[in-house]
Amino acid sequence: MGFDVGSVISAVLAGMVPRAMPALLAATGENVDEIGGILNLGVEGIMLMGCITAFLVDYATGSILLGFVAAGGVGMLFSFFHGVASITLRADQVVSGTAIWFIGWGLSGVLYVAAFGFSASPVKINTLASVSIPYLSGLPIVGQLIFGESPVFYLALVLIGGIQYFLYHTKPGLNLRTVGEDPRVAEMMGVNPIRYRYGALLFGGLLAGIGGAYITLVIVGSFDYDMTAGIGFVAVALVLFGKWRPWRVFIGALVFGGIYVLYLTLETALPSLPYQFLEMWPYLATLGFIVVVGKRANPPAALAKPYDRGE
Amino acid sequence: MAAEPVVRMQGIVKRFGPVVANDRVDFELLPGEIHALLGENGAGKTTLMNVLYGVYRPDEGRISVGGSEVSFRSSTDAQRLGVGMVHQHFSLIPVFTVAENMVIGLRDGHRRLEISKVKADIARTARESNLNVDPGKVVGQLSIGEQQRVEILKLLYRGAAVLILDEPTSALTPQEALDLFSTLKTLRERGKSVVIITHKLYEALSIADRVTVLRKGRVTLSSIRKGLDEEALTEAMIGRRIESKGFERTTIAGQGSMRVENLVVQSQGGREAVSGASMELRAGEILGIAGVAGNGQKELIECIFGLIRARKGRIVLDGLDITSYSIRKRLEAGLCYIPQERKTRAVAIDMSLMFNSIMHDHWHEPYVRREMLEESSIRKLTKGIISKFNVVTPSENSKAGSLSGGNLQKFIVGREMSRTMKYLLAVNPTSGLDVGAADEVRKTLVDHRNQGKGVLLVSEDLDELLSMCDELIVMYRGKVSNPIPESAFDKLKIGAMMLGSGQEQTAGSTVKAGS
Repeated sequence: MGFDVGSVISAVLAGMVPRAMPALLAATGENVDEIGGILNLGVEGIMLMGCITAFLVDYATGSILLGFVAAGGVGMLFSFFHGVASITLRADQVVSGTAIWFIGWGLSGVLYVAAFGFSASPVKINTLASVSIPYLSGLPIVGQLIFGESPVFYLALVLIGGIQYFLYHTKPGLNLRTVGEDPRVAEMMGVNPIRYRYGALLFGGLLAGIGGAYITLVIVGSFDYDMTAGIGFVAVALVLFGKWRPWRVFIGALVFGGIYVLYLTLETALPSLPYQFLEMWPYLATLGFIVVVGKRANPPAALAKPYDRGE
Repeated sequence: MAAEPVVRMQGIVKRFGPVVANDRVDFELLPGEIHALLGENGAGKTTLMNVLYGVYRPDEGRISVGGSEVSFRSSTDAQRLGVGMVHQHFSLIPVFTVAENMVIGLRDGHRRLEISKVKADIARTARESNLNVDPGKVVGQLSIGEQQRVEILKLLYRGAAVLILDEPTSALTPQEALDLFSTLKTLRERGKSVVIITHKLYEALSIADRVTVLRKGRVTLSSIRKGLDEEALTEAMIGRRIESKGFERTTIAGQGSMRVENLVVQSQGGREAVSGASMELRAGEILGIAGVAGNGQKELIECIFGLIRARKGRIVLDGLDITSYSIRKRLEAGLCYIPQERKTRAVAIDMSLMFNSIMHDHWHEPYVRREMLEESSIRKLTKGIISKFNVVTPSENSKAGSLSGGNLQKFIVGREMSRTMKYLLAVNPTSGLDVGAADEVRKTLVDHRNQGKGVLLVSEDLDELLSMCDELIVMYRGKVSNPIPESAFDKLKIGAMMLGSGQEQTAGSTVKAGS
């Protein structure tokens, strides 16, 4: 196959948003967690649980909506486990998060095998169709990029705007930011850090679960063992890249999605290149971002520090 | 006075395990008064006020605020009834603006955060109470004095009628302290009641209307200020009179000096913390470095000791350039260091005093022979430190972390003094110590000087510096002033230099400030 720069670019533009969505949702949720001072490294596991839950529910009921709802619920449940360990029992958040990742990783695979056995051909479900906004989606490039997406994308835009407003223009948002900076001060000022941290964590779990569901219900249409392939960790990295600002995290996720599609496109365009090499790209780019940006990052001061109310 | 007290605490008992921090304490606060709560460190002052503020719950006793009995479960409860407290560690978020800090956790029925309206409200409250604060500034960029104003303003904004300030002047320059006192007087005129927790006698005598003294958890004196003097307060605080004032200083012209030339040091954040500092510490001299915390003193000392690499400049010890030396070689060259962070940097708290005593000597005889520890000589060293420097501890096998702050510091200072060394770097060596231990530490440092050796002393306590140093340098934003000789010490002028005014040089009046 020939190599046409123009077609590569248009493929990247058309495909970046869907490919970005799982990381975008998970990163946005993780961002809220971290602003409240909780590092949730279990995102990867929670996303995998979202994948399998959405897949099973959709397979059983035929309802994509129910699939999303159930995946969000399971995401909240798993982030609640992380909360019990790291907020209530004050365990090390890295250890607890890693445990959540392992559980989600293993359990999602087990559930699939339990339901369908070891089959050579993957079980397929229907995926969510794109909603094209009439007329606007016909515009060149921009039309494809912005107005030809699945409804989840529009919801995500509203969501990020909403989170931005919540964090910087409401008192509960200020309180949450305070909890992430210094829970002792928050407590002194009449804010319950425990409640805020649980709230943020559950919200983050909801989004991670939905992000996982997006992979099965919108992109792939089937389940595969370890199918998130590290996107949950990319989400954690994107928060750092975005310096805990919702819109920067959003842009970071789109860039990640673009690089991901670029690798998929080049894989077909340049079959002579080893695919393992190309597969490495999105992650290498993420690592590169962190090295460049991370140095000057200014995380919430109480991030990943357990809060002991004490006396 | 006939007025009904706004706060009445009766028979307050607060225990922490076996320690009784407050033992049947009675305390009354009248409307429109400034009340000094005086006592040494560990006397139970802060505990008592934390009980009033709802941080601790008393084991026994009753508290009434505004005439009715209360039982606060948290500081939020106390705030609701108009009791506010400024702790020594401020309850501020440094990355937030002043306005944002004011409204954290505030419940006024509105979920929306209308920051411009908040700013206007704050500006009004600030004007009324004569507190100069810009509500749009980010708190972390404000000086300690300004941050304290933000804390006070926050309490007023949230409706406090009773303000408790814990050691409010400990981190302030003399000017800032004077400003604070005039603010407190304004608040008193407006009918607010103020408690200042302090261990400084002159503060109690200069600003308070009434004074309550605590010693070992009990009230030893409570009276209106009129008629009180330093002696009466000292006796109530310590239970004895302090014998000597000042230090015995014999001048031995020491040999050699430690010179720092054009030193440039970057802080961890990459900021230039020390920009071209030069100084000379002569043997037989105490050279003081005054300055508000965070002006580069920490980085300067850490660079001299070798914890941070110098960007530019040289450090010369008796003619020997040690700029590129490792810490061990610096130790061997005769340098020593007493860091401010006792429990995290000076000792390993879970190890015994014995092993802590050779922290700076762990590689050579007689403590180590053929890579084996010589327990008997280490034990002898440790016992020597304990007895010579009055360290109160069950034995040399006790963990360093089990010692009280004062005893631990005496041990640390003693350890360094027992080494063969010539130049000592000390950062806030008496901070947090009670009067007795602080005195012993100071005396030890002066003794060291009297033996013809040098001390580079960084301290936030200007009185301490003025009473001990032969020469003084002021550090401000990474720059050092020219050395000020003892004959030209002027407390107010040095205080002004700590705030950045008159970077040039001292001249003119030479009033020696008392301590």
